[in-house]
Amino acid sequence: MQLDKHADYIAAYGSKKDDYEYTLSEYLRMSGIYWGLTVMDLMGQLPRMNRQEIIDFIKACQHECGGLSASIGHDPHLLYTLSAVQILCLYDNVDALDVDKVVEYIKGLQQENGSFAGDKWGEIDTRFSFCAVATLALLGKMDSINVDKAVEFVLSCMNFDGGFGCRPGSESHAGQIYCCSGFLSLTGQLHQVNADLLGWWLCERQLPSGGLNGRPEKLPDVCYSWWVLASLKIIGRIHWIDKAKLRSFILACQDEETGGFADRPGDMVDPFHTLFGIAGLSLLGDEQIKPVNPVLCMPEDVLQRRDLQPDLLS
Amino acid sequence: MHGRVKVKSTAQQEEEKRKEREKKLKVYLAARDACFSKRKEGIWDEGALQVTQQLLSSNPDFGTLWNYRRETLMHLETVRDEDEVQKIYEAELSFLESCLKVNPKSYGSWHHRGWVSNRLPRPDWARELGLCDRCLSLDDRNFHCWDYRRVVVKMSGVPVDQELAFTDRLIGSNFSNYSSWHYRSTLLPLLHPESPEEPAPPPRRASSSPPPSPQSRSHRVCEEQLLKEYELVQNAFFTDPNDQSAWFYYRWLLGRAEREEIISCMFVSREEERVSVAFSRAVNSAGLLLVLDGQPQRVEWRSVHPRFKHSPVWICDLAPGTISDVTNEHNLTVHWMEKHTHRDCALYTGRTESWCRDSATDQELFRSDLSVEKTSVLQSELQSCNQLRELEPLNKWCLLTIILLMRALDPLGYEKETLAHFQTLEVSRAKTRPLDAEQEVGSLTSSFSFFLFSPSRQEVDSMRSAYYGDLCSKFMIENTILKMEYAEVRVFSISDKSLTTLCHLDQLLLVTHINLSSNQLHRLPPQFAMLQCLEVLEANNNSIENLEGVYHLPKLEEVLLKNNKISTLADLEPLASCPKLKRLDLRGNPVTQVANVEAELTALLPSVVDLLL
Repeated sequence: MQLDKHADYIAAYGSKKDDYEYTLSEYLRMSGIYWGLTVMDLMGQLPRMNRQEIIDFIKACQHECGGLSASIGHDPHLLYTLSAVQILCLYDNVDALDVDKVVEYIKGLQQENGSFAGDKWGEIDTRFSFCAVATLALLGKMDSINVDKAVEFVLSCMNFDGGFGCRPGSESHAGQIYCCSGFLSLTGQLHQVNADLLGWWLCERQLPSGGLNGRPEKLPDVCYSWWVLASLKIIGRIHWIDKAKLRSFILACQDEETGGFADRPGDMVDPFHTLFGIAGLSLLGDEQIKPVNPVLCMPEDVLQRRDLQPDLLS
Repeated sequence: MHGRVKVKSTAQQEEEKRKEREKKLKVYLAARDACFSKRKEGIWDEGALQVTQQLLSSNPDFGTLWNYRRETLMHLETVRDEDEVQKIYEAELSFLESCLKVNPKSYGSWHHRGWVSNRLPRPDWARELGLCDRCLSLDDRNFHCWDYRRVVVKMSGVPVDQELAFTDRLIGSNFSNYSSWHYRSTLLPLLHPESPEEPAPPPRRASSSPPPSPQSRSHRVCEEQLLKEYELVQNAFFTDPNDQSAWFYYRWLLGRAEREEIISCMFVSREEERVSVAFSRAVNSAGLLLVLDGQPQRVEWRSVHPRFKHSPVWICDLAPGTISDVTNEHNLTVHWMEKHTHRDCALYTGRTESWCRDSATDQELFRSDLSVEKTSVLQSELQSCNQLRELEPLNKWCLLTIILLMRALDPLGYEKETLAHFQTLEVSRAKTRPLDAEQEVGSLTSSFSFFLFSPSRQEVDSMRSAYYGDLCSKFMIENTILKMEYAEVRVFSISDKSLTTLCHLDQLLLVTHINLSSNQLHRLPPQFAMLQCLEVLEANNNSIENLEGVYHLPKLEEVLLKNNKISTLADLEPLASCPKLKRLDLRGNPVTQVANVEAELTALLPSVVDLLL
């Protein structure tokens, strides 16, 4: 494994600001920064990143309503509000934000049925339920929303196979399952999950190559090493995966030339897959990488600092 | 970010690429800046629609631009008449269709389409359904499209049976149809709800557990339809035994009815002056009330381990002297207020303890009572699956389904076959059997042929061997509980069954003796503390390194842990919470090699008089 090369790749990534692909992904910049910083911290390389520049950037992304946007000039959204708070936790500088306003923004997005819209335009998705409670948990402000109703909505998205989808009636998908398991962990409701049934569905994501897919009949992807693996860890069934085979798949997704991880061996690398490859390896027990928290995808030591230890099933 | 193959190229090709990207970047930035500056100036006209259109066609995930479009459309609604607005929105739908052609998986595009359909003065839901049909014919796993379809169906009142027929068509013609089966799982309960004889669920309050989603409970489909569905699924997996979807769906169909929410067991002990209560599911202690001889008691409920805020077992201690006098008879009742249910337990004169419970059989815990028709259907399906197995001995779905069918029909009767099938599934964990001297000579040649020709030695699903190990353990524990209840004893004995995990511990509240020897357990988890009546714990010959669950067990006297993996004194700390512990066997554990171990243990566990190291 080539940790130094991966660190070099991430450190250099943001500096090519005139890069076409980099600019195209401006609409998710805040999350991109969170992916880069988190993987650097997991590799013990966070100091190589430009702390002040990033904090200033975040400040410039907080809107009057309290929500944060992906980048300057873009509109606020729950996704980027969470990413921003996660970054500030890594930097132990949460008070760079108007926290009360953030809480107000999140509170305002909860609907009558307990669900959360991503922003004022009303898209409903269990991803946003996760973003809401994760942000509030990091800020220590979970009681500002109607948690019971939020739980009711998420549980209404549970399917025949024990998994969860975007909305009630939506098909189970590993990404949504991660969000809902994380949500139920943060709200102390993991006992509502059918861990044996869901754990089976999740361990069936492992393909002969050792890699994991996101739902039946799909291709494996290194990012599912996170969504699936973290979900299994949260529900206490991570041992149902063949760890050795998964590890070899993840390592095969490295690019030894450029550093970084791609979704599949031979494809182009990016920071998103680099984070989830490294985080997956951490969950598998790699001692060269810092322990990662399966609920929040942040280094455990950062969460200890915030005094946040979400429940996990055993 | 996904599926971009890395292509190697020469230095010249790289340079050309770089120039092209620089050009593209310039164009992109100009367009983006045009949008942002127009928006800043508050311009909401067709021009705004034009500039955003350019960018969104190739970058539909640029959420802010959809927002700007929506602002513009909303503004135009106020300054144009209804016909013009209708035209504008229809143009929007056309634009969206072209976006979706390029990228059918953009959250932004689908959300915007839903937003537009909602605002259209005269929505054409048939057209929208047609769009969904076309999109699904290209990719019937596109969940964005399925979700949009569900909205269209709801808004336009498409009948459920029509949608069921739609799934029939897709399932009939296509290989990768998990999404269709999933949709069926949500439609069936709507079309064929549970029979009217089933008890109505009790009224729910805001603070109580949320209603289970209709799609998660297969019993909410009337039996007649359920049996038809079995046939449909069976056809699918016999046609293509490697299509996983049908097997997943079938497992759901085999699932049992939801348990009635009750207090399943109540145990009262004079000696500890304690009441232990087991519930049919994990609960929170708020809303539990203990009444003693008609008087509500002010007690504090605690779960068996500080870790658990929700637990199927709760304990409360009565004030000293309340029930300790064995000459007094007492009547106790526990009320589970939220579920409007309660349980009574009489503690008679001369008796030191008392209990009241529903057995696992009464609760249909591990097996439902099946109707004659259902039994017959499942039996013939078992037969068919066995036939399939002859043709496809390596098909793990078939093997697993055979196991599940046997569990549904007769868990105890099929125990032996079940174990054999699990062996086949998890072959990488197959136990080694020592060969005696006579066999050794011939074993070399015979083992070769064994590997080459014996199908049961080939890899069926070794990647998931840990799953099968735990599942088999669960089924063996269920069988042992059933046998224990038939025998009407409080001894739970399950040794030499390759147990890898413990479960259903909430069913063992009354057990006094447990034998878990010669298994593959790594720990006694916190839930083990639910065994409140335990007196003797035998768990020799395992791999136990963690004793978290041997915690505050008030009656525990004997703990036998020979040949395990307990390595530090800290591992033994939970035992200090068991006040009656007299006998402890730790022979064959790494901890016996720790310096000064005997003195340390005597200090840690003063009640132990018989310590074997």
